[in-house]
Amino acid sequence: MKARKWIWLVVLLVVVVSTLGAQRLVINSYMSDEAPRRVFAELVDQFRALHPEYTVVLNVFPHEDFKVLIRTQLASANAPDVATWFAGERMRYFASRGLLAPIDDVFPDGFGKDFPAAFESACAYDGTLYFVPQSWYWWGIYYNTKVFDALNLTVPENWYQFLKTCEILKQNGYTPIAIGTRGTWTTGGWFDSLNMRLHGLEFHTDLTAGIIPYTDPRVEETLSSLADLAKRGYFLENHASYDWQEAATRLFNGEAGMYLMGQFIKDVAPADVRDDLDFFRFPIIDGTIGIYEDTPIDGFLVPANAQNKDGAKVFLKFIASKEAQEYFAVQLGRLAANRHVPPPDAHAQKGLDMILASDGVMQFYDRDTDPQMADRGMNAFVELMMFPDRLRTILQSLERDRQRIFQ
Amino acid sequence: MRVYRKHWWVPWAFLALPLAMYLVWVIIPIIQTLSLSFTSWDGLSPTTRFIGWRNFEDLFHDSIFWTSIQNNIRWLILFILVPVPGGLAIALLLDQKLPGNKMYKTLFYLPMTLSFVVIGLVWSWIYDPQYGALTTALNSIGLSSLNRAWLNDPSIVTYSLVFAAIWRQIPYIMVLYLAGLKNVPPEMVEAGIVDGANRVQRFWYIIFPMLKPATIIAVTVSVIDSLRSFDIVFVMTRGGPFYSSNVLANYMYIEGFHNYRMGYGSAIAVIQFAITFGFILVYLSNVMKSEGVD
Amino acid sequence: MLKPKKSFVFFFYISATIIVGMWLVPFLITTFTSLKTMNELMATRTAWAPPAQIYTGNFREAWEVSGMQRYFGNTFIITIPSVVGTLLISSLSAFALAFYQFRFSRAVLILFVGGMLIPFQMLLIPVFRFSNQVGLYDTYQGVILFHVAFQLGFCTFFLRNFMKTIPSSLYESARIDGARDFTIYRKIVMPLTVPAMAALGILQFTWIWNDYLWSLILLQSDHYKPVTLGLVTLRGQWIASWNLIAAGSLIAAIVPLTVFLIFQRYFIEGLTVGAVKG
Repeated sequence: MKARKWIWLVVLLVVVVSTLGAQRLVINSYMSDEAPRRVFAELVDQFRALHPEYTVVLNVFPHEDFKVLIRTQLASANAPDVATWFAGERMRYFASRGLLAPIDDVFPDGFGKDFPAAFESACAYDGTLYFVPQSWYWWGIYYNTKVFDALNLTVPENWYQFLKTCEILKQNGYTPIAIGTRGTWTTGGWFDSLNMRLHGLEFHTDLTAGIIPYTDPRVEETLSSLADLAKRGYFLENHASYDWQEAATRLFNGEAGMYLMGQFIKDVAPADVRDDLDFFRFPIIDGTIGIYEDTPIDGFLVPANAQNKDGAKVFLKFIASKEAQEYFAVQLGRLAANRHVPPPDAHAQKGLDMILASDGVMQFYDRDTDPQMADRGMNAFVELMMFPDRLRTILQSLERDRQRIFQ
Repeated sequence: MRVYRKHWWVPWAFLALPLAMYLVWVIIPIIQTLSLSFTSWDGLSPTTRFIGWRNFEDLFHDSIFWTSIQNNIRWLILFILVPVPGGLAIALLLDQKLPGNKMYKTLFYLPMTLSFVVIGLVWSWIYDPQYGALTTALNSIGLSSLNRAWLNDPSIVTYSLVFAAIWRQIPYIMVLYLAGLKNVPPEMVEAGIVDGANRVQRFWYIIFPMLKPATIIAVTVSVIDSLRSFDIVFVMTRGGPFYSSNVLANYMYIEGFHNYRMGYGSAIAVIQFAITFGFILVYLSNVMKSEGVD
Repeated sequence: MLKPKKSFVFFFYISATIIVGMWLVPFLITTFTSLKTMNELMATRTAWAPPAQIYTGNFREAWEVSGMQRYFGNTFIITIPSVVGTLLISSLSAFALAFYQFRFSRAVLILFVGGMLIPFQMLLIPVFRFSNQVGLYDTYQGVILFHVAFQLGFCTFFLRNFMKTIPSSLYESARIDGARDFTIYRKIVMPLTVPAMAALGILQFTWIWNDYLWSLILLQSDHYKPVTLGLVTLRGQWIASWNLIAAGSLIAAIVPLTVFLIFQRYFIEGLTVGAVKG
């Protein structure tokens, strides 16, 4: 049977290739979007040219599924040598269970030589480095400049101005804030921003680490601000029916005024709308609290079960280099983690400036806290936005979850 | 069927390979999942802790679990009430000896060839409360008062999902009934016409009784698919908004694979299996009975 | 032979067209989506409406750029041996259960049927670990062997029912002629079972062709991926190329549909005898 011939051929190939195991390098990536996928493949090709002694295998997985698969891959004897992942708690979860290989020697002159000191804690666990950052992005309130111009609106800087802006948008028949909560993570941005504006970085860190109960009056204050926005009807109607992309359409075609979102929203905007999009910093609520933002960092790690750890580190050194980071950043309009790489365009420059002017950064709610807690939390935020009067019961339910998860 | 048998080991010789494969890939994994349900394994760590019945106790107090069971029951009831008569009706309609009926049948089979990702996507566009096809259609025929937030409103989201699943299920049931109809001897139907029975009588007294075996399968398949439903829920709402459309299979998957609670997810799977197995027994005794003496 | 009345013919065509037409609306929407550009998708409110401008590039892009050709090949490599394997092996167990009476025969039947009805997510982790341990992870054989084994439940049950309709006289007269069991299986029972196997083959083919979860768990390398995985890869971290996914899905749907068309005759026939008759 022809199929059987194929199977034997493949088996033979696998056997032959695996006997060359020492020089084989397997990289698993979740960059399934067309542009990053292409660019990363080009980077891998550059690596191949520089290091012909390695046979590099690049596997790309659907982004969402990768989050599930990486666990099975890390736990298996066939772990890849390099894998894409997120910095912060998501990475530390694995490191704390001994599933990652330490990579301090990728930074012979120390992390801070090429990378911002603020990123180091997100890339390390218990004093050891496990993560090489590649790119990062910021969250801000994106707005449709045409809509703002039509209503003679200026960019709000504090909460009072922000509420007024929402009200004016609403009175004129626009949706003040677009949001799609079918994928619950969009609510994480609102929670983080409100919590950090009201109570600062240390409080937010402790909360996501599970130290502070959700029934704490400060958490209640944060969530009641969110509930307040919902009660005033500022959010897109029926937001739980839409995923973030569908809601973004409302911003693009001018039905909505604002959208708290990450930088990548520009990637999705139709060409003729892109120039009408701009962003501003999340408004200040309490002038006495420092200014903190979310800056999710993406990068790479090495599984403890990798076959070719040395090869992995060679690759990581390459990917951490200024050249590789600059290539990625310029091709995709992203911000490179490497300090020496300049922002690729004006939009990125503005984002960088905003972050440099901040006092500290977190990753993002679902990257900072326990994954289970993130799931319960973000679903609870959606419920709060739909039924703002349920604030008390929601907080109690979250607190029960927190006790169970962080005990 | 009585059969003379030379050696006692002959049937076992035939069963050796299939049973061995089945044991290795299906039965043993089921047992492993069962044992996992008594642990607190997170799906990652090389070691785990035995915690006895704790997972099941937690499930008992877990409101999301009960919501899932309620939803599964909704699925069950609707899956029996709608696709079975619906598939039968369509089969009856399309099974005429008129030119073009094969084309109609093939076209009706199309929904089964699409992947769930696409089905979920398209139906969520249909359900868009502002611009969706359903909303637009209702508006255009003056029934705009019936408009709801189909996927947003926790009290109706499950029904919206079931409806999309039924869209795909009815063609399947239709095929089962088409096969069953082929088994109805045309002479009996014509005898009915000669005796003066009208269409309704012919159906009720002649055709329907002969379809009993097909109906048993159709109902059983619907029961099992409704208790196992996963893809539509996962793709369209992930069990949301805030767990209101959750079903057991979806909950198990998310807890086990997204929330690092493999032990807990296994416990959910065990319960789901137990419920489904209850129906297996019912089904089997029906089938055994209709076969007479084995 | 009584001819249907003219009014009934009229009723048939009108109602069949309306019902089938309504049923195909989602399918139509998929087609519209596959003909739109990404810009149009993101700009329009009515995502389900016909395209303002028909753009056929998605099909070419899905096929060439996204590696569809490779994925298609892989899907065939996985599906065909799985279908053939499970049909042949389950015919062995079906034969044993249909023609022989022995202690535990009922228990074995329950075992197969029980496995037919489990939520398969339950098996994901144990099967993954097992495949890893014996080196079947990330191989064609690993996925194929799993599909063959998993489908044995339903296929055994189905074929057993069909074989029970074969008159025992055939079996007994062959016995009297001194034929051995395996010869009877090979030369008498199997040829008669062909229609049922064709029907079952279609169902199995469609199911395995559209399988997503198992290929996801048991395969790692891009090299081995089937078309279902390839399609989902078009759904990125931020952006889902819905137009490409729609185009790719339509291309992928052609194969099971063709199989259905070709084997439709056996499909209906085989299902009749196998499943309906006790």
